[in-house]
Amino acid sequence: MKPIFRFTFYFFFIINLIFAESADIGNTIPDLKIRLLDGTTTTIHELVDDGPLMIDFWATWCVPCKKLMRYLDQYHQDYSSDGFKVLMINTDTPRSMGKVKSYVRAQDYKFYIGMDPNKTISKKLNGMVMPTMILVDKGGEVKWRHQGYISGEEIEVNNQIKQLLENNLEETFED
Amino acid sequence: MKKHLKTKILKEAFVLIITTSFIFADQVDMNGAVNSNFGNSYGFYDFSENILDLNIFYNDLQGWIQYEYSNPPDIGFGNNDIRKFRLEYSTGDFILKLGDLYEFWGRGLLLNQFDDQVTNFDNGTRGLLIEYDGGSFSASHMNGNSSIWNMGADTRTPEYNNIHSMMANRLEYNRGLIALGLTQLRSNEEHDVNFGPSVLVNHDLKGAYATWSGGNADLFVEYVDKVSTEKVTMFGTIPNDTLLKGHGYYQNFNFYFGNWGISTEYKRYAFDKAYGDITSDDYGNQIEYQQMPTLGKEHNSTLLGRLTHNYNFNDERGAQVELNGSLFGLSVTAQYAHLSRNETWQSVGSFEWTDKAIDGFLPSSDISALPYWENYQEVSGYAFSDKLYFKLGRGSNKEILKTIRYFEGTQVDISSVDTSLTWVYDTLVWNDETYFDSTEVELYDTNYTSPFNVESKLWQQSKAFTIPLEVNYIFDNGYTVGLGFQYQEREKVNRSKGNATTFNAGDSSWTMYDPDDYSNTYDETVSQLANPDGTVKTQYNRLIYLSISKAPKWSFTITHDMTNAYEASSPYDPYYNPLEALISGDLKYFTGKRNNIEPPSWIQNRWVSVEFAYNITSSQRLSIMYGSIQGGLFCSNGVCRLIPPFNDGVKISYSASF
Repeated sequence: MKPIFRFTFYFFFIINLIFAESADIGNTIPDLKIRLLDGTTTTIHELVDDGPLMIDFWATWCVPCKKLMRYLDQYHQDYSSDGFKVLMINTDTPRSMGKVKSYVRAQDYKFYIGMDPNKTISKKLNGMVMPTMILVDKGGEVKWRHQGYISGEEIEVNNQIKQLLENNLEETFED
Repeated sequence: MKKHLKTKILKEAFVLIITTSFIFADQVDMNGAVNSNFGNSYGFYDFSENILDLNIFYNDLQGWIQYEYSNPPDIGFGNNDIRKFRLEYSTGDFILKLGDLYEFWGRGLLLNQFDDQVTNFDNGTRGLLIEYDGGSFSASHMNGNSSIWNMGADTRTPEYNNIHSMMANRLEYNRGLIALGLTQLRSNEEHDVNFGPSVLVNHDLKGAYATWSGGNADLFVEYVDKVSTEKVTMFGTIPNDTLLKGHGYYQNFNFYFGNWGISTEYKRYAFDKAYGDITSDDYGNQIEYQQMPTLGKEHNSTLLGRLTHNYNFNDERGAQVELNGSLFGLSVTAQYAHLSRNETWQSVGSFEWTDKAIDGFLPSSDISALPYWENYQEVSGYAFSDKLYFKLGRGSNKEILKTIRYFEGTQVDISSVDTSLTWVYDTLVWNDETYFDSTEVELYDTNYTSPFNVESKLWQQSKAFTIPLEVNYIFDNGYTVGLGFQYQEREKVNRSKGNATTFNAGDSSWTMYDPDDYSNTYDETVSQLANPDGTVKTQYNRLIYLSISKAPKWSFTITHDMTNAYEASSPYDPYYNPLEALISGDLKYFTGKRNNIEPPSWIQNRWVSVEFAYNITSSQRLSIMYGSIQGGLFCSNGVCRLIPPFNDGVKISYSASF
């Protein structure tokens, strides 16, 4: 069996190197159940029912994540009339998850907060590197994926959201 | 053998699923991730690890497979095989999971499973989980086996293997703002010890938790009761069971007003008690499935991260308060935590200790209860039209690391012995006749002094003060320049005080410091930090990093880490890299006249590295690091790992999701 495993690994490694930009793009995001910070439960497909969704993974100790969050909250509010939403999936462990709500309330963030303390959702959506953003279109199609955050990248994030909303608007007019 | 066969069948099933998924690719959604890390250093700290994760989604079926090819990994055992796998099937209100399970119930007092590759801690279960989630009511059942490795003396290869055969259940009821849960876990463990065969221990845990979420406040409480039964077979084949009982309680109460939030946490983990550390032999009552809140600040500053307290899940109580808020557009955080053991301890002999439970609920400041304090304040914000980001923190920690002897009480001395002669009379009746007898003997009558106070204490403590600072500025052309500076003052001492020194086992008494005058006392502090010139009172650590980045493509960082003292005697460290030589002005390094026999002493005090990270695409990242990195304690999720130094080497990391 070992050669098969080794072959599988290298096969996917090379596939990834060649097609990494687009391999995940176009797929339908799995309909995972998310427990929100307020105690209620939803699913990803429920959230993309009426508009695009940006999913991002974060933790209270992740500095780049916090820098990015303020922009994502702004986009969540700016484009809410187009049905756009942001879902921030928190991966704090029990060590620090008691402080999540306090931090979010202090920053007055309006976006959705999902809780993922043992990284079940992060693993299924490949969000183990933080921050990882996944832009999902209305209906669940993955449109864009990005790892990490360097100051200034929020402009590219904004462009991706705007482009998706414009495309959707054009399609609506064509229909 | 059966177990291996079962695993092999499951793995083959996965290969079949992957192949099938390609055939029916239209109906199958997939995503994956690759993480590759390679390291090669002058100090023989080499590693090569590659991990591939694949997720497959087909209607109600989900599959996850993780393949590892590493020889050797950064930490753990070399592997060239499928490392993890899981199949999930959900239909209606039911979910079925088969394979490697990672569950998290309540806040982890009974069950919190995760796979942390940085500390090589993996307490997952390979088995079956059935879950029913009918809205307000949910129930879960899981069972399977876990093979959990713990580190020993070696910093990279695990040493102790605890094998669990476990079964756990959970019931949860949600109604509006309130949720109630009942949990239960049983495990038969083969616990690895230093010498001899594994110890067989049965664990039985029962727990309950409740949450309430209000508009301006929320509450979470969890309680777990645990009993363990150890099977001892030293008396032939007759089992001799010994019992350990304990409990744990955790509470989290948050309240909010405007843009401010206060988070309060309280814990009382009393699963076992020990005045010293828990070891593989003296392993305590808590098991690896129980990964609970620690009540310490999770820092993102390198120097503060090195000060992590070694949390004791068996025997520790404490409280933590954290305030988060916004003031004049700035984010403000203030945190305070105080922890201690549940008992105070008194050494009543050379190796014997007695304990006394601490009154009330709060942690103690008594030195023998090994208290720990930390507080941290931080302010961060933006200025100049959001182009400048800054973060300024201040942290201080104080900890009693261990007590070597700790006695405070009274003692009496023998003042005199009366050896004067005295007559002893005796009578004897024989054949109805009474005979009198008298003997002159020495009287041994001991006289004692009045009780006097004795104090004999020796403990180890550390304290530190840290200031982390970070500034970033984004220029109009898209370039960002960042500067970070972290400053730390740290002391680690052995402190002894009292009017007595060691315990004399011969006459079961404390040896007085001044035999002629018991009121004479001593109070000595001996630093445990040193450099090649001798003992150093204060360790000064400074970490500076400068970064330049251009979004969204690349970033370049140079890091300079420096200290003036070490905990142990300084090892002879001949490794130094050109960056360190350049910064220190050692031009001989570049002219071929480098002194390999007696390198300059400053090389042991600094570690310089550069890192270049490049985003190949938006989901592919490559980073190359060259230089040296200081080793030290690294803790994550309450699990700590001593990382060896990385000297004059290269690390390459590649991560991608697809």
